[in-house]
Amino acid sequence: MASNAAVPFWRAAGMTYITYSNICANLVRNCLKEPYKAEALTREKVHFSIATWNDGKPEKPVLRSDTPED
Amino acid sequence: MRLGVDVKKNVIVTISSDKGLCGGINSTSVKISKALHKFSGPDKETKYVVLGEKAKAQMVRDSKKDILLTIAELQKNPLNYTQVSVLADDILKNVEFDALRIVFNKFHSVVSFLPTISTVLSPEIVEREAESGGKLGELDSYEVEGGETKAEILQNLSEFQFSCVLFNAVLENACSEQGARMSAMDSSSRNAGDMLDRLTLTYNRTRQASITTELIEIISGASALEG
Repeated sequence: MASNAAVPFWRAAGMTYITYSNICANLVRNCLKEPYKAEALTREKVHFSIATWNDGKPEKPVLRSDTPED
Repeated sequence: MRLGVDVKKNVIVTISSDKGLCGGINSTSVKISKALHKFSGPDKETKYVVLGEKAKAQMVRDSKKDILLTIAELQKNPLNYTQVSVLADDILKNVEFDALRIVFNKFHSVVSFLPTISTVLSPEIVEREAESGGKLGELDSYEVEGGETKAEILQNLSEFQFSCVLFNAVLENACSEQGARMSAMDSSSRNAGDMLDRLTLTYNRTRQASITTELIEIISGASALEG
């Protein structure tokens, strides 16, 4: 499938739209002033553990924690 | 029962809880996921992505071969959009799909939850359906501004839609889980109280019967001595 227009820079770098909008939201949250900023940053905490399964066997789970941009 | 859009590769995302003691909601989610799997027919491929320990434990028993990803410890921090969107990103990167069916419990009231399926289509399928007319064909009546083509916008929107639908599903499931836990704990407390009452009555009756037996023995022994 040939694309006529140039893809946006973030998609060419391998990011999805979700990652792009998360980074933008993080920038906006960092612009807040102090008491609101701490509250807003608590809304960004990420923690979960994900394991891929191959053929009925789970591999070692990867823990993704605390940095939203990971 | 038509599943809406006919696709080759279905991926079923089952949402459940990590903690137990919440009644039957996790079992209903798993039951619906398995029914969806069986329903999609022999020539279509259906795989699972499982969120939460409870559904994982039930799925591993008979559908091990069809599981793609399992996710745990999702509720360690209070739920927020960033976490779910990172998760959605992971799923998008690792899973090939034509349609994603998200199975969760929609919160209706504290005692009633409706198991629901939300569908998210991949951009290619949306294009295909849009061209064949029907409801999705109305996408063409929207004007696209800026330098982006329709295919790019569809792809961005489809990713964002998946992330938002997943967030909605996770929140509704969390609510339903809390409600189910409340009603399950309440009914088990009531059952335990009832059992306690019944057993107390039995205990008292038995105690009185054994005291009466001892009294009878003593009295008959005493009267045997006298007479």
